[in-house]
Amino acid sequence: MENNVLRQAAEQQFKQEIEELKKEDKHVKPVNWQLSPHAVIDYLMGKKLGNGFEVTPKYIGNRRLMEIAVATLTTDRALLLYGLPGTAKSWVSEHITAAITGDSNLVIQGTAGTSEEAVRYGWNYAMLLSAGPVKEAIVETPVMRAMKEGKIVRIEELTRIAADVQDSLITILSEKMLPIPELNTQVQAVQGFNVIATANNRDKGVNELSSALKRRFNTVILPVPTSIEEEVNIVEQRVASFSMSINLPVQKSITEEIRRIVTIFRELRNGVSLDGKTKLKSPSGTLSTAEAISVMNNGLALAYHFGDGSLKADDIASGIIGSVIKDPVQDKIVMQEYMETVLKQKDGWKDIYRACRDIV
Amino acid sequence: MSVHLLGIRHHGPGSARHVLEALQNLRPDVILVEGPPEGEAILKWVGDQEMKPPVALLAYVPDNPKQSVFYPFAEFSPEWQAIVYGLKNKIPVRFIDMPLIHKLVEVHAEESPENATPDIGMADEVADFIPVTKNPLSHLAEIAGFDDQEEWWEHHFEIAKQPEDVFASIGEAIGALREGLTENNKVEKIREAFMRRGIRQAEREMYSSITVICGAWHVPALQNMPKQKDDDALLKNLPKTKIETTWIPWTNDRLAFESGYGAGLDSPGWYKHIWNNQNDDGTRWLTYSANVFRSNKIDISSAHIIEAVRLANTLAALRNLSKAGLKELNEATQTVMCMGDDIQMQLIRSELIIGNDMGSVPAGIPQVPLQKDFEQQVKSLRLKVINEEKILNLDLRETSGLQKSILFHRLLILDIKWAKQRYISGKGTFKEEWLLLWYPELSIALLEKAPWGNTVESACNHYLKHISSNCGHLAQITELVSKALPADLHEGVQILLTRMDELAAMTSDIAMLMDAFIPLTEVSRYGNVRKTDQETIGAILQSIFFRLNAGLPSSCFGIDEEQSVLVADKIKAVNKAILFLEDEMMKNAWLETLATVLKQKNVVPLVHGTCCKLLYDSKVIGTEETALKFSRALSGGNDPSYSALWIEGFLKDAATVLVFDHEIWEILNNWLSEVSAEVFLEVVPLLRRTFAAYTPSEKNSIAQKVKQAPTLGRSFTQKDEVDVARAEMVLPVLEKILGF
Repeated sequence: MENNVLRQAAEQQFKQEIEELKKEDKHVKPVNWQLSPHAVIDYLMGKKLGNGFEVTPKYIGNRRLMEIAVATLTTDRALLLYGLPGTAKSWVSEHITAAITGDSNLVIQGTAGTSEEAVRYGWNYAMLLSAGPVKEAIVETPVMRAMKEGKIVRIEELTRIAADVQDSLITILSEKMLPIPELNTQVQAVQGFNVIATANNRDKGVNELSSALKRRFNTVILPVPTSIEEEVNIVEQRVASFSMSINLPVQKSITEEIRRIVTIFRELRNGVSLDGKTKLKSPSGTLSTAEAISVMNNGLALAYHFGDGSLKADDIASGIIGSVIKDPVQDKIVMQEYMETVLKQKDGWKDIYRACRDIV
Repeated sequence: MSVHLLGIRHHGPGSARHVLEALQNLRPDVILVEGPPEGEAILKWVGDQEMKPPVALLAYVPDNPKQSVFYPFAEFSPEWQAIVYGLKNKIPVRFIDMPLIHKLVEVHAEESPENATPDIGMADEVADFIPVTKNPLSHLAEIAGFDDQEEWWEHHFEIAKQPEDVFASIGEAIGALREGLTENNKVEKIREAFMRRGIRQAEREMYSSITVICGAWHVPALQNMPKQKDDDALLKNLPKTKIETTWIPWTNDRLAFESGYGAGLDSPGWYKHIWNNQNDDGTRWLTYSANVFRSNKIDISSAHIIEAVRLANTLAALRNLSKAGLKELNEATQTVMCMGDDIQMQLIRSELIIGNDMGSVPAGIPQVPLQKDFEQQVKSLRLKVINEEKILNLDLRETSGLQKSILFHRLLILDIKWAKQRYISGKGTFKEEWLLLWYPELSIALLEKAPWGNTVESACNHYLKHISSNCGHLAQITELVSKALPADLHEGVQILLTRMDELAAMTSDIAMLMDAFIPLTEVSRYGNVRKTDQETIGAILQSIFFRLNAGLPSSCFGIDEEQSVLVADKIKAVNKAILFLEDEMMKNAWLETLATVLKQKNVVPLVHGTCCKLLYDSKVIGTEETALKFSRALSGGNDPSYSALWIEGFLKDAATVLVFDHEIWEILNNWLSEVSAEVFLEVVPLLRRTFAAYTPSEKNSIAQKVKQAPTLGRSFTQKDEVDVARAEMVLPVLEKILGF
């Protein structure tokens, strides 16, 4: 049955790694943690263990950021992972939770419709009517369960939740308890309880955290990949796995095309050309690594289904333009400037310049 | 008799503390410090009341102040503390490094002032002089599991309160390192030979307890004394030059890496903090950080500080450190106080980590090189520094005139307002008139600029670099460029142009871009700059031009009247500039952009009219199309104010064109003849608005033209045939009246 599951939870998929780390772990574990902070970081960053077992890296990037995130959780402060879409925020939060508590399934997906009942507790109305307000009539939320069991609850897209619902977290985070006024009682959090929230800082129309709530979180911003090599690497791996899952044949090396897309994305995102000579405006979109992956996938699909099967500049140009120009006025200027000042000057990039020019 | 070697890290507060402790225990009767012997003469100033670090000991070749070395000292520099201790306890202090009379000759031979300035001798030498690509200390750091050797050193020898025998272990560690290296850097060998000579000298003078304070790297070389003969052989027949020394005020940001004369010190403010607060676990530092945020209107509560302290210490524990270092504290600050954002960390960086301390030196200290350079130039140009107004006319075609003009322009960049340029008309571009007046405050202004460089030129360049990096407005940079070009500052102009390019990329204000573009075209046209400048200017001109072309069509909407007057004027100016450039490619691209503007809907009328006129002038659109646009803009469907502004854009400042260009005249005339009486009454006030701005003589010649060429317009109105039948109808009545 397990094989039919589309995607396994992190603690299932990497069960063996966690077990091996547990065996080797000699550092002090905080209460209700299954691994010590050191081992959690090893789990995230990857390590070759003493017995030769290889722990794969889950996060490719700056180790110090993971140290800050884990240290935050040991000080029983809540952790907010912040960043552009596509920078592995949810991924990191899932793996940290899996490593610390072995249960990454306590999740609340934040949406505009997330209500207070989904965060604090709800009522089983049938029982409420028949038995009145009793403990048994309470429907527990992931937050309440995590408090009772001393686990970590994850809140995805915190800033999408309405501000008043967000603020119901304040008491939980500062006093570590959840009052149930109807029963004149409260749930006290067991040691080990904590919250990891994710939010992205690019979206418009989100609910900014109130400063009271902000103060309860330590914030770690996950950056876009630092080097072009790192980013090309990530895109390459993901594109390969995508092609495999939908049976797209990747007939020849596409690294060169990936490098071109990543170069264009990085130059625009960073607002400066790779050689550092030309300053550029940045478009309103994020141009994350995830978008580079989807441009590549899109291009491959176009080439396979509508072209002759080999990837051409035309196949990726529309994807690039689509990712860059989100605002028809401002972004168009950005792209035109970029095409004229940078793209045009690059040797051997004439095809992509022309393909883009035809579209814009 | 005993010799104690105290191996230090230059500017390491921990080292300074250890040195002080060691000095108090050892009670030496002579202190030998790694430093230039020429500086000994001015050591007495260190004890002066007015002497406040950071200061720098400056040594330079008097004939050529570009050849110079700075030895910066901060309060927490071990050498500084040793000197202060020596002066206080009346213990002789000596500098035993290689004398600069030899060392600056070497630099001289290289003939490259760029290399000379950053060689601050004391700080970077471990990194600089070692003939391997990798800093050897990093091997030790790697073994201990640290990212970089600075951090490793800081945690082991700076923050941690090590026992006094720390010096012994430093010696051993470096000794082990140096054993494995082949050393073939000659200067380094000579320097160490000089240091050994200094020690032998002190021994010969029968001092009983000698303490040597030198960079940790040198300890092994001073421990194992080779034969004196070998050293003497090494030190024979070294070339010599003349050297002068003085103290100048220094600043924290020049101690830091970022600036040109950096002392290799990344965080002077932090070092000062740990020097003053040895036992701080981060609480004090983070409280200061919170205060910096608060004074910049960012709300930070005490709870933030508490959480940040906790996080910093947890991080230190997680990384197996005994105490939170700067990195941990920074990360805690960023995570807890700044919402993870590093933009606000810039505040902490500039105000705390680097800090804005500026040192001061007592009055009466020997003169600085900038002053000397200035006086030398004044003398060679036969100018007089007097407190009296004097007017000077310069002919820039003559060398001396040009030199003087360059000097005046440079002084203006340094805010030394000795000479003011006066406007003169009608004498061509090669004449300049200046008003000279010197007053004593100007000497102080000159002194203030001394740290920027040893010559007027290099001071200008560095100063320009400084202000341009702090300057966020394209207009300001444009102004600086126009100031720097006549001052013949090659390096400064390059820096400004780079900055200009950066800012041009950031700005979306098209008017600003156009402002920057116009002076650049002038420069590139006249070519009064060097060839390399010319190339850079060309490249930036192109890039600004492209940005202009991309941005212009979309910035002609929704701007108010005031702004649109501005934009229209600038468009005209840019147009003129581009025509002068005589670059076919640019001209075509520009006209294409104007055509795009013309085609767009909802463009503000003034700009639309202007573009229409410019395109007509360039023959991109013909008479017919122009006439069409004209009548459409002035047709009844439009808001009257729209028409008024449009015609203003089209005909403003164009009276002479109207008189002499027959076709424009025709267009206007045709339109006027065709409008109906009611519409005409409506537009008269609008037309008046444009025509009222013409001068009386212009209006006169227009009137003359109307008079002289009646047929031009009338021919259209009198086209209709006379209705003969109707005319005949009156004839009987006329006949009756006249009595035929």
